[in-house]
Amino acid sequence: MEAILIDSVQKSISHFMHSNAIFLSHRLCAQFPSETNLQLLAACYLQSNQAHSAYHVLKGTQMAQSRYLFAISCFQMDLLNEAEAALCPANEPSVEVPNGSAGHYLLGLIYRYTDRKKSAIQHFKQALSMDPLMWAAYEELCILGAAEEATAFFGEAAALCIQKQYLNCSTSPKLHSSTEDCNLVDTRNCVSEDAIPRQSKLMQGLKDIPGNHHGAPILGGSSGQPTNSGLSNISFYNTPSPMMTQLSGVAPPPLCRNVQPNGSNMSTQSADNSPRSTVNSTIQAPRRKFVDEGKLRKISGRLFSDSGPRRSSRLAGDASVNANPNTTVVSGNGTGYSSKHLGGSKPSSMAFRSVTVRKGPSWANENIDEGINNDILDDSRLNITSTSSSSSPTMEAKSYEQEVANIPVGGQVISSSKVITGASEILTLLRVLGEGFRLACLYKCQDALETYLKLPYKHYNTGWVLSQVGKVYYEFDYLEADRAFGLARQITPYNLEGMDVYSTVLYHLKEDMKLSYLAQGLIQTDRLAPQSWCAMGNCYSLQKDHETALKNFQRAVQLNPRFAYAHTLCGHEYVALEDFENGIKCYQSALRVDARHYNAWYGLGMVYLRQEKFEFSEHHFRMAFQINPRSSVILSYLGTALHALKRSEEALMVMEKAISADKKNPVPMYQKANILMSLEKFDEALEVLEELKEYAPRESSVYALMGRIYKRRNMHERAMLHYGIALDLKPSATDAASIKAAIEKLHVPDEMDDNL
Amino acid sequence: MSLEMAAESSEGEEEGKLSGGNQILIVDEDLRELGKKAAWSVSSCKTGNGVSSLRDDNLETYWQSDGAQPHFVNIQFQKKVRLQLVVLYVDFKLDESYTPSKISIRAGDGFHNLKEIKAVELVKPTGWLYLSLSGVDPRETFVNAFMLQIAVLSNHLNGRDTHVRQIKVYGPRPNPIPQQPFQFTSREFITYSTIR
Repeated sequence: MEAILIDSVQKSISHFMHSNAIFLSHRLCAQFPSETNLQLLAACYLQSNQAHSAYHVLKGTQMAQSRYLFAISCFQMDLLNEAEAALCPANEPSVEVPNGSAGHYLLGLIYRYTDRKKSAIQHFKQALSMDPLMWAAYEELCILGAAEEATAFFGEAAALCIQKQYLNCSTSPKLHSSTEDCNLVDTRNCVSEDAIPRQSKLMQGLKDIPGNHHGAPILGGSSGQPTNSGLSNISFYNTPSPMMTQLSGVAPPPLCRNVQPNGSNMSTQSADNSPRSTVNSTIQAPRRKFVDEGKLRKISGRLFSDSGPRRSSRLAGDASVNANPNTTVVSGNGTGYSSKHLGGSKPSSMAFRSVTVRKGPSWANENIDEGINNDILDDSRLNITSTSSSSSPTMEAKSYEQEVANIPVGGQVISSSKVITGASEILTLLRVLGEGFRLACLYKCQDALETYLKLPYKHYNTGWVLSQVGKVYYEFDYLEADRAFGLARQITPYNLEGMDVYSTVLYHLKEDMKLSYLAQGLIQTDRLAPQSWCAMGNCYSLQKDHETALKNFQRAVQLNPRFAYAHTLCGHEYVALEDFENGIKCYQSALRVDARHYNAWYGLGMVYLRQEKFEFSEHHFRMAFQINPRSSVILSYLGTALHALKRSEEALMVMEKAISADKKNPVPMYQKANILMSLEKFDEALEVLEELKEYAPRESSVYALMGRIYKRRNMHERAMLHYGIALDLKPSATDAASIKAAIEKLHVPDEMDDNL
Repeated sequence: MSLEMAAESSEGEEEGKLSGGNQILIVDEDLRELGKKAAWSVSSCKTGNGVSSLRDDNLETYWQSDGAQPHFVNIQFQKKVRLQLVVLYVDFKLDESYTPSKISIRAGDGFHNLKEIKAVELVKPTGWLYLSLSGVDPRETFVNAFMLQIAVLSNHLNGRDTHVRQIKVYGPRPNPIPQQPFQFTSREFITYSTIR
């Protein structure tokens, strides 16, 4: 009964029938209370966005997978301390992080949001080394400004790692040598992962499966290899698992038997396993390798061939390392296993990403119990067998196996050479994307653009890439940014990422029609996305309705307090309403979320400039400049602050840099003229302004300033002329008044306070 | 600086006299309302018709004074501000003898040194009345003051108490870019003048 219930629950999950899944899992837990079943229940809750329920269900549990799911629930509920404690219990410092790369990624996020940047970086790197296709971790590294070149992460070593994940390398030594650990953890239904942070990123179904069962050592046990992260992600077919679990009470760690290989016979195996199964702190266990017994024994290539012989042979055989690549990517149905395990597993129906295999142990059990599996095939679970590097020698891929050459991947059997090429293709793609993203985060705009252009056309022309391109253009060319984002919208109209930046671009270009169209479109697509409300807020702000704009931005903040830009925009609106205190608070909140968000540093600098706290202002503009050294606007304000601090020589140097950073920006030239005037270098100032006249012939302030300079030089006629032109160009009311007043006083000797 | 008047308005022809009134409140983009940053008080009021009715954006509610003339509305700012325009909503049709007829606007640093800066006489006003504080000289476009006082010196038909339905006070928008001598007007300059 248990197995059937489990199967049903998983089917419901795979069909997104959450309430059904929850109901059935409750019955399951009531009838067969066990921690693994609790995990399944929690996973159902997480899938249907009820993290708080999952939290309560899993509170106090100890198995690796439970801790992982618990950590996810805590993270979603913003209980970062508990999440961290779950992943890294304080009193067991040497415990491995559950779920390998996914666990490290989650830990990285926790450290990031609790201001421990170094640890965060370390964990993201670890996650990437364990799973080179974990784009999310690389993205986080870029955002933290700590990413090395993409080739470091998506290069040779990564290719090897992926390969290993799919193939069982026979040579253990090789495995050992590889640094990454491609351990797959077998998880039991891990549905959750997807749910959260990772979401999209995982394409490959390298889902981490908590190997709770394994406690580990099995695999590692002897060989102790597992050292590396110990987590292997493995998705396996679960079906049998329930049973299995029951059997051992613990997930028998799968197949991976480590090391000592051969000779494994079931008995030994089970023997081994059982002890381990409990709780796992080391996840090593899961390494499952698919031993390619076939090699030894020539197994038929078919995936699901009779399990029987295989299994036994497998068992008997030494663990060869061939692992079948069962990896099926989650998406595929994959039956990853060699049917053996499951006795003819049928290709699972769909592998959905999140789901992972049901308890890993199943396999183990399988071994033990061949017959059982056959019946329970589960659909969709793909197993990914990972070969843990460590385990080289021993894994036996029991189930998985297949012929050496054929590896099931994502439900299809492909040859191992194809796996290699496939892996390197993916990595090539990720290399380009990663490098582009990294350069964009460092604001090396031209380089980033060039890198993105290296992408093949069909990848370049997708919403995500075009949005990224738009973001890069946003730094220096609003028109091009508009174009790129516009294209992105055409191709992927439901994409929200980057649309907040697009709305700002339209704000700068004063395109109110386009902006309001964008905002409406975004709200219709997703009312609960912070980007939609940011766009809406920008619309109102453009109309100078700052109060409504502020409300919209506050809504965006409520929807996702970790969305730094929403905080910054709130800050801008507060400043526009002259509420500097709240503005400062908002900017600071933005910086808490993302310390490299230069807009917030800039915002703070502007507030202090207005409040005439010039030293603070200079400091903040410098911070912004350090993050984005190419922005001419930041440089020009830095210069302004320096000038206000009476460090005019420095100010002039900075202005020169600002001018050369972007020839199209007239503002630093104007400010340079202003500084020159205050240094009484009138002729130079006039020269600069003459040049500016060419650039922006209808800018009233240029003529007004020239008028003022001519007055100081006592060239009254010229002053009059310029003041007149300035007035014609419709300056603001205040300026018009001051210009008129200045005209009146033209023939009066210069007073100190001739500006209003 | 220009004030737009809606079609229905009409300004009285005699000097210092205002009649008619706008039904719609339209104020130049260059101006912003300063009343939120000020402390408002009145010389006297009837219960239920206090100073808050002057600031509630509701034309149905009104302030009603309760004492001897002149009646005052005092607006005190935390720092010296530039004021340019005062707008009042009064309605002879609804308020008849409660409608103010002579209004004097004073400005200064506090109660001790208020000086009159504007005086108008109203003739059956119905709607928003724009009282500009600017002088003829461009140097007098704005009034720099800590405090403004609107005094109702007499009412229509010799009424003792007065009704005023809403009051708004405007001043120029400050330069959005700090430390700049003049504000930017052209698109090229404005686009590059901030980061958002």
